[in-house]
Amino acid sequence: MLLDDLLSRRLLVLSGKGGTGKSVVGTALAIAARGRGKRVLLVEVDAPLEAPRYLGAPRTGGREAEVRPGLFTVNLDPAAVMDEYVRRVVRVDVLARRILDSPVYRRFFAAAPGLPELMMLGKIMVFEEARAARFSSRPRYDLILVDAPSTGHGISFLKVPLAASRAAPAGPVGHNARRILALLQDPQRTALVIVAAPEEMAVVEAQELHRAALEELGMRPRALVLNQCHEARFSREQEADILRLAADAAAGRLARGVGLPAALAAARRHVRRRKLTQFYQGRLRRVLPLPMASLPYLFDEDIGPSSIERLARRIEAA
Amino acid sequence: MTAPGGRRGSRALAAALGERRVLVVCGAGGVGKTTTAAALALQAALEGRHVLVCTIDPARRLATSLGLAALGGRPRPLDLSPLGPRGHGALWAMMLDTRRTFDALVERHAPGETARRRILDNRFYRQVSSALAGSHEYMAMEKLLELSADDRFDLVVLDTPPTRHALDFLEAPERLMGFLDTSVLRWFLKPYFVAGRLTLKVATRTGAFALDLADRVLGLQFLQDLSEFFLAFEGMYAGFKQRAEKVHALLRGEDSGFVLVAGPARTTLDEALYFYRRLREKDMPFVGLVVNRVHPDPLAEAGPVPRGAAGVDAALARALLRLMEDQARVARRERRGIARLEDEVSEPLVLVPELEADVHDLRGLKEVGELLLSGGRSPSRRRRPSQLQAQGRG
Repeated sequence: MLLDDLLSRRLLVLSGKGGTGKSVVGTALAIAARGRGKRVLLVEVDAPLEAPRYLGAPRTGGREAEVRPGLFTVNLDPAAVMDEYVRRVVRVDVLARRILDSPVYRRFFAAAPGLPELMMLGKIMVFEEARAARFSSRPRYDLILVDAPSTGHGISFLKVPLAASRAAPAGPVGHNARRILALLQDPQRTALVIVAAPEEMAVVEAQELHRAALEELGMRPRALVLNQCHEARFSREQEADILRLAADAAAGRLARGVGLPAALAAARRHVRRRKLTQFYQGRLRRVLPLPMASLPYLFDEDIGPSSIERLARRIEAA
Repeated sequence: MTAPGGRRGSRALAAALGERRVLVVCGAGGVGKTTTAAALALQAALEGRHVLVCTIDPARRLATSLGLAALGGRPRPLDLSPLGPRGHGALWAMMLDTRRTFDALVERHAPGETARRRILDNRFYRQVSSALAGSHEYMAMEKLLELSADDRFDLVVLDTPPTRHALDFLEAPERLMGFLDTSVLRWFLKPYFVAGRLTLKVATRTGAFALDLADRVLGLQFLQDLSEFFLAFEGMYAGFKQRAEKVHALLRGEDSGFVLVAGPARTTLDEALYFYRRLREKDMPFVGLVVNRVHPDPLAEAGPVPRGAAGVDAALARALLRLMEDQARVARRERRGIARLEDEVSEPLVLVPELEADVHDLRGLKEVGELLLSGGRSPSRRRRPSQLQAQGRG
């Protein structure tokens, strides 16, 4: 259900508080989409490439790399994207190089607020428009997933085309900014996916992002992914037993080398997290009118392909 | 359980809180950076210093941490009396308002009312000065300089802005200096940008050529607007450059210090290591590295195992053991990442265990601060499960 709605779009932008596992969620979403036969591009924005690592693929650079059949990843480096833009616009290689080598260009680009962000969003638009082959009407990617910066920075990141279109009413900068804006604000093509975790601040930021998306960015949030959920693993009676035993300071040996007090301490930590998870699930359902997928906290020794595939199946079932 | 390594790391933090005048707290998003900054500031205040903690995060996290609905753009004193402060310490908190800082900068440096209005009304200025990505770093820099000179405070703790790389902040002074220093600015201030005469009267062929390229890449109208924007600031550049140089020097001075904050996940540990190396390369004063929210290993820190079988049924016992194994696996995952970091960082890390409750008030911040300064814990030095088993049998 949640996946069906998301897969009917062309561009999914993921944001949420830092530390909520956006990269893991993005990679799992990409795997789920791939499972439905979509050709997927996962875009990471000026960050170390997490996705290939989670999928056990070698680290790739700034070019699109096929990490699994039909699943591509790319890491956008703003300076490289800007250089590419200059080359494309100027066309003549010698001239382009003269610009690229000039310290004026380098330092201007490094110091100009918003320009790197605009360039990266422009590149994402280019991916969206790319065709499978020359003269083909089929898009190169069915779905583009953007692992955007976390809430605060993510909002200012997504605000750049709006600011640029106001600052430059005419010319290529303003023109491109308006095209990017049209893509981001088109509810048919683009959806915002909010990632949260069952913690106070992550939930507050999810609400803030939802509000800012509608009021300031003109973007439509379509789904909420609540990651790192602690799911019930004891029955109601067992939980009651645990709390009672802990209150009685019950002692004894549970297994070789394992005492009951340590087990009860571990269990109480779990029960508290489990209750918090439920509490925040309830609150998010009340305050955000979005379909929600809850993903489990990962206890794996390494976060690898099998962990991601497990999450992908959960997204599929949501 | 307190490891000597953790204590040494904490001593370095405590010494910095007692002596330095500026502490910059850096790290990836979501690692508890804001909470750590606020907790350190509170500890210094409880020890009698006059401390300001400044956050730049637009998501208003510090406000939540301090139990305030919203922090204003001005320092606001907090009531510490319920915490029983020693001496006459005080704590102020504020949130950076990028737009207001920018406006204040213009007010201060503009040579006259006409110049001031020309800037404030500039279309470009209005976009750049509000929350545009990239402006935050410059204004954080500006604010830091202003606050460090404010004699109400003898310590400023700065929570760094959310950045693609936390380094964007560190390098902001250099970027701005690079921009103000070279031909970049001169290029934009050349007369051929003066409105209306754009393509007509270009002095040299090279100039015409450069303009033609610039038109294709960015558009002449855009460049003209930009030029007007830069022209509006004419006469103020020397002041800007001087301030950028001052911040650059301030951040390298012995009165300043950097505290790195990471979480136990591999991504944020990697990022902290990268940042640490850059600090070292740039010869910036490193104070310490804090790893927050480290999960305990229930199989390794159990203490002596009681004699006699526990009176729980088999199903519950099995479920409990599975849970402990799961939690132990997470602890091992984190321990491996932390050990890799310990190999690289010359100073001991301060490890803060995952807390029982969310921190969202002064009392919670005080507890975090006490943990930070009392050595935290060092899971890498804990006894191994095998040792425990031997003990259990004996």
